[in-house]
Amino acid sequence: MKIIIDGIVCEAEKGEMLLKIARRNHIHIPTLCHSDALPGLGSCRLCVVEILDRGRRSVVTSCIYPVKNEIEVFTHSDKIKSIRRNLLMLLYARAPQNETIDRLRREYEVPDNIRFSGGKNEHCILCGLCVKACQELGTSAISTVNRGITKKVSTPYDEPSAQCIGCGSCAYVCPTNAIKIEEHNGVRTIWNKEFQLVRCARCGKPFATMEQLEFSRKKLGSDHIELLCESCKKAVTGEKLRDIYERV
Amino acid sequence: MFEKYPKEQRYTLAMLQDLQKEYGYIPREKLLELSQYLDIPLSKLYSIATFYKALSLTPKGKNTIKVCDGTACHIRSSKSLLDEIENTLGIKPGETTKDGKFSLEIVNCLGSCAIAPVMVINDKYYGKMTSSKVREILKEYGGADDE
Amino acid sequence: MMNRTVYVCCGTGCLANNSMDVYKELKRLIEEYEVDADVKTIVKSTGCNGLCEKGPLVKIEPDNICYSKVKASDAEEIVKKTLINGDIVNRLLIFDTAQGKKVISHKDTDFYKCQQKIALRNIGEIDPGNIDDYIERGGYEALRKVLFHMIPDDVISEIEKSGLRGRGGGGFPTGRKWRQCYSIDNFPKYVICNGDEGDPGAFMDRSILEGDPNTVIEGMIICAYSIKSHSGFIYIRDEYALALKNMDCALRQARERGYLGRNIMNSGFDFDIEIVRGGGAFVCGESTALMQSIEGNVGEPRAKYIHSVEKGLWGQPTVLNNVETWANIPEIIMKGSDWFNSIGTENSKGTKVFSLVGKVKNTGLVEIPMGTTLRELVFKIGGGIIGDRKFKAVQSGGPSGGCIPESLMDLPVDFDTLKNIGSMMGSGGMIVMDERTCMVDVARYYINFLSEESCGKCVACREGIKRMLEILTDICNGKGSEEDLDLLENLCHTVEEASLCGLGKTAPNPVLTTLKYFKDEYYAHIRDKRCPAGVCPELTEYEIDEKLCKSCGLCAKNCPASAIRGEKGKPYHINIESCVKCGNCIDSCRFNAVGVKKGARL
Repeated sequence: MKIIIDGIVCEAEKGEMLLKIARRNHIHIPTLCHSDALPGLGSCRLCVVEILDRGRRSVVTSCIYPVKNEIEVFTHSDKIKSIRRNLLMLLYARAPQNETIDRLRREYEVPDNIRFSGGKNEHCILCGLCVKACQELGTSAISTVNRGITKKVSTPYDEPSAQCIGCGSCAYVCPTNAIKIEEHNGVRTIWNKEFQLVRCARCGKPFATMEQLEFSRKKLGSDHIELLCESCKKAVTGEKLRDIYERV
Repeated sequence: MFEKYPKEQRYTLAMLQDLQKEYGYIPREKLLELSQYLDIPLSKLYSIATFYKALSLTPKGKNTIKVCDGTACHIRSSKSLLDEIENTLGIKPGETTKDGKFSLEIVNCLGSCAIAPVMVINDKYYGKMTSSKVREILKEYGGADDE
Repeated sequence: MMNRTVYVCCGTGCLANNSMDVYKELKRLIEEYEVDADVKTIVKSTGCNGLCEKGPLVKIEPDNICYSKVKASDAEEIVKKTLINGDIVNRLLIFDTAQGKKVISHKDTDFYKCQQKIALRNIGEIDPGNIDDYIERGGYEALRKVLFHMIPDDVISEIEKSGLRGRGGGGFPTGRKWRQCYSIDNFPKYVICNGDEGDPGAFMDRSILEGDPNTVIEGMIICAYSIKSHSGFIYIRDEYALALKNMDCALRQARERGYLGRNIMNSGFDFDIEIVRGGGAFVCGESTALMQSIEGNVGEPRAKYIHSVEKGLWGQPTVLNNVETWANIPEIIMKGSDWFNSIGTENSKGTKVFSLVGKVKNTGLVEIPMGTTLRELVFKIGGGIIGDRKFKAVQSGGPSGGCIPESLMDLPVDFDTLKNIGSMMGSGGMIVMDERTCMVDVARYYINFLSEESCGKCVACREGIKRMLEILTDICNGKGSEEDLDLLENLCHTVEEASLCGLGKTAPNPVLTTLKYFKDEYYAHIRDKRCPAGVCPELTEYEIDEKLCKSCGLCAKNCPASAIRGEKGKPYHINIESCVKCGNCIDSCRFNAVGVKKGARL
């Protein structure tokens, strides 16, 4: 079927998410909580767009809106721009020192002197990506805590979690770089827990925690752990392939 | 205690409420035990325990005072009632007195709007409350710290 | 000779006023005095009668006598004077303000005359703990009709034709919901009762769950039969201990009698119901959050682009309806859709139960036909404002609804009318406000409530409500500016449009309606740094009018802060420094001598 986004005709499969269709057609819709690997959160609200469906206009969340009819979409109507501006003002009030938020608010012309207080050292926008990543991985070391305006993300009791393997997937997936990982003298500290980093057998660089490697070993069901960092793994694979080609 | 329910995720809230009823709060060891029993991550149980206000991770006082702040009570000055209790006991809603005698909570609508403003201590209802009645009633339960 | 029955109201409101003691005492005395009688008087404890202001209520049938504000110590007089001698205890009769005299039967009051009971038809007349009472009044006859004389399509058509719309707040056409679920070929299907009544000031669902649990059960079984569901859930809010108990007991009895479970009434149809207890979260009243809660998760709503009738509980087709909606079903089946849609207005059929609370004389529960005017509800049935003060507004729909000013009181109560003026029917809570209610404080109160009850998942609701609260609190503390009003309204529209679920989308309603109809109060707080209603402590000063003061000292006696001094013969005086602005003095004074200072606060 066909839908129209900002005047452009786009092919669409029934049930496909609107954001996906837009991106495929190089139409920009801003997002913060969207990740192709972990889709469907719909928490940041930045991707809202206006649609016209059988004569009715409404505002929908494009990352979770399944296209069912041949609709017309407006990704930056005045109403949408106004909503995004307010959302970014709210996010800026929450995390005024965050670079990602600051960049976005400048883009939408939100002034930097706002009448709201607080938000000194906050960088988290509670999008939920970190929690979902940890869940998908199978560790579930962190979760959302409380509700309403006191909601936050943390480990149980704010203490080092027995389930945390220090892999840093949460930090990797965070859209605002809000999760702190510190690496110092072969020790990685994340979520208040310290991990000894294992050195690569080939290049000697500390690259992963023991817990991380043990976790993947168990998941893959293999007997031994390969102590190679990502780049060395690639290099070793490259060498192996080269050997094969040379022999052939 | 957990055996009362099938070992399924959907009974998590019910099990947590039973723990709450038994201990007056959810002790840490019990949360861990439940996590192992149901094979549900501790972080998820922690998330549930902090989301639902019927559950508490900290022990409550011997007597729980609930002040209704439903709309009907609110417009009949539940706030001044709450202020008086706060001043008398030295605690805010969600807190417990140091001697463990009283916990204070705000609740939303007990359905007794005709006798607003309402205060409940343990299961006893006190209707048409005024701030001047507070001290006398609290004395029935052992009074405030300094008395 | 017909059996005498004494009904003692044991709805939660009356229970809080010790009606259980009244029940026990009456029972004990009757046994004592009637120990040799051939025909004994039956004493029943019932659910809420609705006239909570006059409780505890005791009704005596077939004499058609109703006693109000009964205490356990009155029991002996009632037994001796009325039951034995056939005389009336005058002092216990209800005083009907409309007629200016005492009435023997509650049925003679405007409060009762103006009502039409469908959902509440049995409450107050049956012992909810006894299924036979329900059966005696026609209970489970509708189910019998459905199981043996109707096919699923017929059942759904009846509900569609009746025009019944959801009573929980959404007002979605019930028949259409059932039809949509019926047409999905995916099993299992589920039926849910939403008993998470969270609106502060609303206790309709509570009264039905406590006072007539079987009508909900019967309604659900009828739906289950029509959509081919075999499993149902009744979600009851954690705080409703008596409702949980009574429903549990009713389910047990229904199963014992074959009305629930396997092979219902020997029809071959299986359906059973499980109770799920809420965990203390207002957001779980939102249907998708409620389903998450049943599944064992936190109550975070999801977007409703795919409806629950298609993918609901555990991703399966689900019909979720409110308690009051279920309570209407058996009557619609028995009396027919034509009967039901002859009541009410064009787009809002039937009746609605309202909890009339706040500054109104006759606080309680009423069921009226849709289309009754707000004025009739508040002034005729409600009896007007306590102390005959001036009416200011009535708030309908709880935290999702709006404030309705005096100028709109002649509008009929119905789904669309209320929506068009910025409010909504909601669950049916009607909070009556007078001149001593500050509308800015009301807006702040609702936003404060929602700031804690929001699930917190989405930015628009969580951050939007947080900052709306900040602005409203500043205004109430005298720190607001005129720019704040524009910013507030602007934020309201963003929260309305960009929130993920109904809680967020409707959160701005109380703010927007108070801004629309009571802007002058906002201006007084901002420009004059004054709270005209005398509620916001920072912006209020009370004073005693020397000309009206009679030196009775009542205000000083009731002052919790000992801030009032005076002596006989001289006017009393309030010490502004010590005053905590509780308003007890204003409420105590019988001569209207205490009031809110008119001039601007320094």
